[in-house]
Amino acid sequence: MTNPLPNWLDPNPWLPHSQSTDLRAIENAIHSEHPTERELALMLSPAARPLLEQMAHRAQAITRRHFGRTISLYTPLYLSNYCNGGCLYCGIAADRRATRAVLDIPQLDHELDAITTAGLDEIVLLTGERMPEADTAYIREAIERAAQRLNNINIEVFPMRQEEYRSLAEAGCTGVTLYQETYNTTVYEQMHRWGDKRDFHARLDAPNRALRGGLRTIGLGVLLGLADPAADLIALYRHTTHLLKTYWQAGVTLSFPRIKPQMGGFQALHAVDETTLAQAIFALRICLPAVPLLLSTRESAAIRDGLAGVGISKMSVASKTTVGGYSDKVGDSTEQFSISDERSIETFCAMLRNKGLEPVFKNYDAVYREPAVYADVP
Amino acid sequence: MNTPLTFQNETLHSRLLIGTGKFANVSTMIDAVKASGTQLVTVALRRFNKAQAEDDLYGPLAQLPNVKLMPNTSGAMNAKEAIRAALLGRELSKSRFIKLEIHPNPHHLLPDPIETYEAAIELAKQDFLVLPYIPADPVLAKRLEQVGCAAVMPLGAAIGTGKGLATAEMIRIIIRDSQVPVIVDAGLRAPSQAAQAMEMGCQAVLVNSAIAAADNPVAMAAAFKTAVESGHTAHHAGLMPTSEAAVASSPLTSFLSSND
Repeated sequence: MTNPLPNWLDPNPWLPHSQSTDLRAIENAIHSEHPTERELALMLSPAARPLLEQMAHRAQAITRRHFGRTISLYTPLYLSNYCNGGCLYCGIAADRRATRAVLDIPQLDHELDAITTAGLDEIVLLTGERMPEADTAYIREAIERAAQRLNNINIEVFPMRQEEYRSLAEAGCTGVTLYQETYNTTVYEQMHRWGDKRDFHARLDAPNRALRGGLRTIGLGVLLGLADPAADLIALYRHTTHLLKTYWQAGVTLSFPRIKPQMGGFQALHAVDETTLAQAIFALRICLPAVPLLLSTRESAAIRDGLAGVGISKMSVASKTTVGGYSDKVGDSTEQFSISDERSIETFCAMLRNKGLEPVFKNYDAVYREPAVYADVP
Repeated sequence: MNTPLTFQNETLHSRLLIGTGKFANVSTMIDAVKASGTQLVTVALRRFNKAQAEDDLYGPLAQLPNVKLMPNTSGAMNAKEAIRAALLGRELSKSRFIKLEIHPNPHHLLPDPIETYEAAIELAKQDFLVLPYIPADPVLAKRLEQVGCAAVMPLGAAIGTGKGLATAEMIRIIIRDSQVPVIVDAGLRAPSQAAQAMEMGCQAVLVNSAIAAADNPVAMAAAFKTAVESGHTAHHAGLMPTSEAAVASSPLTSFLSSND
């Protein structure tokens, strides 16, 4: 018997609104000054699709008000694709026939140099699940080396203990990305067949440990396509607001990964089309005006161009999803997911500028780099 | 009548201060700064980028004649970080001005009065011209004045909201009691709101989003320039008192004196 969700996370009370056909209620939700779960659910309903243009306009106005005419840039750096995880949808799961690699320190330096030379200043360091090839000590060393060159260093790795997070914060790490993947506990169990990640509640608690460990920002997300997107997005909203209330000095960012064809041929159980993706982004922008919303190069150039500044405030650029992809100093390795938007930094920035958006490379300074202390949190 | 604004031995002839983030590109930002006539602009330390000129906001601003730079500590979560950022900002910009902003909640960016007060004490001791961004709290404003701040900058409304002078009643009290310049920072959307702040007796206003997010930032900067000048002139010209009733131009009691 799967544990149910805690009350603060449960989307079920609002799910009926996500099937609403009351166009007037949906329109009121779009223009609401104080949107809540109810307004979010209404905007996520299939009946809201004809009102997508209105949602886009409101989302753009709110994005512009809070983030200006700018888009912050970041790039992922894959440290290792070794993984013992059993995620059914993932290209580097343990049972995939994948070519494994981990960056040694000279290779890591080459990768960091290539990223620095390109002018980028914010990175996300990635690994698979906890493995001897890429453990906490290794990740800490990678952070230290990155911190010598770049101002803003984040990780997207396996969940850790609070002391491990503190050690990484001390080394210069500012943020952790940790997608719950889905808040549907039944689907979660089906998707995560073995390993540490199978424990839904341990993963759910990881942002608490990260923030108590001194990290400043938490990146949340659901893997769109696994479960009913409305339920997952309402739970994601509730998770976000819960963290913001508990850790009032912390930042939360949201990403919108979507299942696309990749190794293993996993098919989305609830396929999310481009329109639904856009609808989700507009609705969350309207409900969370100041939360950075991220879009990666998993999405196509056309979608990224359309959503830049229209809900989305931060984007990855020129990403490589293989280990050693930036400097070509490592042999071939299997990528976790495939990239759709392969444009160079120059081409991507030219697109942004054409749309009247300034790409921002540096938006943080190492002078602030120090473990955060949330004094009022036990 | 446009008297200069002074902070110790620094004199400004413009009473419009400009924030430099959120613009669509650096050249629009520079054009807006020029059109505003400002002589004091603030730049976030996190947007100083020595490594990449194209991404750097500081370099292009430093080229402008007659414009002083005021680094700001946006991104600091507490006094310690703000002090470190201020010291680095002074080293890089050679400016004594520091816009002290500590807004630890990244979602509403409202200032932390406790950390701001602690940082202000230290920065004033270290000979900065400290301009703190604060909640519109008259007691805090006096406390900051007493520890040596060069001005106080209460918010009209939260950063980027464009909700105008939501805190007008508190700002009136701050102006009445203050012996340092009072500068409304944050919340302004329209030039008329800037004029209103100046009419109330603010010594200056600081504007960023209202200009950067306008359809035509350069034209909006010019509009704020004239609004600030008008409001300041109006304040010194003396606004007529408000009244519930119309005041008749022919007195009704003139017959009384003739009978005495």
